[in-house]
Amino acid sequence: MNNASELLTISDLHTGFSIKDTYYNAVDGVSLTLRKNEILAIVGESGCGKSTLATSIIGLHNSNKTRVIGEIKFKDLNLANLSEDKMNKVRGNDIGMIFQDPLSALNPLMRIGDQIEESLVYHTDLNQEQRKARVLELLAQVGIPNPTRTARQFPHQLSGGMRQRVIIAIAIACKPAIIIADEPTTALDVTIQAQILDLLIELQKETGAGIILITHDLGVVAEVAHRVAVMYAGQVIEEAPVNELFNNPKHPYTRSLLNSIPQANSNAERLQVIQGLVPSLINLPREGCRFAPRIPWIPAEAHEAQPALHEVAPGHLVRCTCWKHFYFQSEDEMGGIVE
Amino acid sequence: MAEKQTVDVEKKTPAASPPTGIQVIAREFAKDKLAMTSLLFLIVLITVIYVWSFLIDQEQLMRISLRDQMAAPGEKYWLGADKGGRDILGQLIIGARNSITIAISVTLITGIIGIAIGLITGYFGGWIDNIFMRIIDFFITIPSLMIIIVFISIVPKYTVVTFVLIMSVFLWVGTARLVRSKALSESRRDYINASKTMGTSDGVIIFKEMMPNLSSILIVEMTLNFAGNVGLETGLSYLGFGLPPSTPSLGTLVAYANDPFILENAWWNWLPASLLILLLMLAINYVGQAIRRSADARQRLG
Repeated sequence: MNNASELLTISDLHTGFSIKDTYYNAVDGVSLTLRKNEILAIVGESGCGKSTLATSIIGLHNSNKTRVIGEIKFKDLNLANLSEDKMNKVRGNDIGMIFQDPLSALNPLMRIGDQIEESLVYHTDLNQEQRKARVLELLAQVGIPNPTRTARQFPHQLSGGMRQRVIIAIAIACKPAIIIADEPTTALDVTIQAQILDLLIELQKETGAGIILITHDLGVVAEVAHRVAVMYAGQVIEEAPVNELFNNPKHPYTRSLLNSIPQANSNAERLQVIQGLVPSLINLPREGCRFAPRIPWIPAEAHEAQPALHEVAPGHLVRCTCWKHFYFQSEDEMGGIVE
Repeated sequence: MAEKQTVDVEKKTPAASPPTGIQVIAREFAKDKLAMTSLLFLIVLITVIYVWSFLIDQEQLMRISLRDQMAAPGEKYWLGADKGGRDILGQLIIGARNSITIAISVTLITGIIGIAIGLITGYFGGWIDNIFMRIIDFFITIPSLMIIIVFISIVPKYTVVTFVLIMSVFLWVGTARLVRSKALSESRRDYINASKTMGTSDGVIIFKEMMPNLSSILIVEMTLNFAGNVGLETGLSYLGFGLPPSTPSLGTLVAYANDPFILENAWWNWLPASLLILLLMLAINYVGQAIRRSADARQRLG
């Protein structure tokens, strides 16, 4: 892949929240690239900074309490320090966002058609008739059976899957170059999940947009993503093409995550877990390997003092050197270190 | 309009979409006879008062005629006359019109200011919120009734307009606080964020998207404020700090009862106005409560 296909380049992004007058970075030095025609998945536990990264890109933070340092390069703009006015031109037009909960992301008192029309009003110079036609076209595109009727309905009259389709229609209304999907299937049941994911893939193929897919569901990742970045405690700890990551995971955290997926064909009575919890924002270890406290059986010498991303295979980056020494603890050993 | 929709609902057309806001309110009124009666009473009363007051010549009405002093209700004066021989019924109509006009103006002015400030502070938060909340705190701590009274005694020539304005200065804060607290939680909802990601400007989000979602609360607040403002205006007029003496108000009519002789011997001077205030307040409150219930699915009757 060459540079021309790069849509969005994030370099050394730090997003901090102010807690009692001190800034704590929820995203701490993330560098990522999104290319054209690509679905980039960002995976991680709750609280590892996935959603913060997404909201940093689209600039949804409360500017009083948040600090964004670093560069988010899109076209010739740096989204990290763009004024609100200029950001409004980018939002909706160039970057669309799909939210997690389709009910709360729709205005309960606006008709579906009007909500989809909203971004067309701001970003296109279509007249009213053309906009109405485009709305129906979009609804048909996201697979809604009766667009004319649905456009006149209110959100509470639709089912969850239909609502998520509407949200997707809103996100793609202005044919954005980038779509950010923040856990788009978490609030849906499994059959609808599959439909929505198929829809995303299909739309991505049609429009050539780059999609950033934020999720904690590794099954979803395996199904749709091209490239995966695994985040832990605000940092990207492993980044690889999807097959490489699933076949050849390196970082202890990635391996533990994959290991903890329940297998239907195994007879193990206990589910595999990762010891401990994601450290809270305030207690985040700022020095050394951030995953070290959760794998205490690995000797301290195995970790780097300032863990950096190393390329272990083409396009496969791993942070820290501890992966070389990592092994899974056997079950009897585990009893000893439970907090 | 309201009645037509009620009929529609009762027919229960199959495959009907869930009721819209107006239908819900109409159904609530249809179910609650007291609120329905109150609403009809209010509509009739206000229409009669406004139409009738056009037919009355206020200057002639307020001319003193000693021959008719304390005339009892009868052929000439349906509701008798006061100490100055002035027709009570005419004063009642003009007074009610003045009181209601003042209450409506105050409600609208304080409503618009309060809602706008509440929505803006709640939506933006941060330093804007801080500044306005400190101003509101200041207004709440000062004894507003005292200041209104002092102001009216100092200003040499005040009119209805100044009276309305001085009341409005102190009355917008309650609405602003209520609206701000609702806007604060509403503005953190996902659909507001979703709208931001579409590039919608703040002004449009505040007034076209957030405000309709708070409309039930706003309507209830305005209705109950209206009742409160009628009470406040008549109270001030009763104390003699309302409209100038040449302009009748419900409060000045009730104030006739301050004279023990009139209180005992001329009930027609003060009783009609007192009853009218009572009925007006009750009716507005019943209507307000019905609207409040229709805004909350758990409290609905219909």
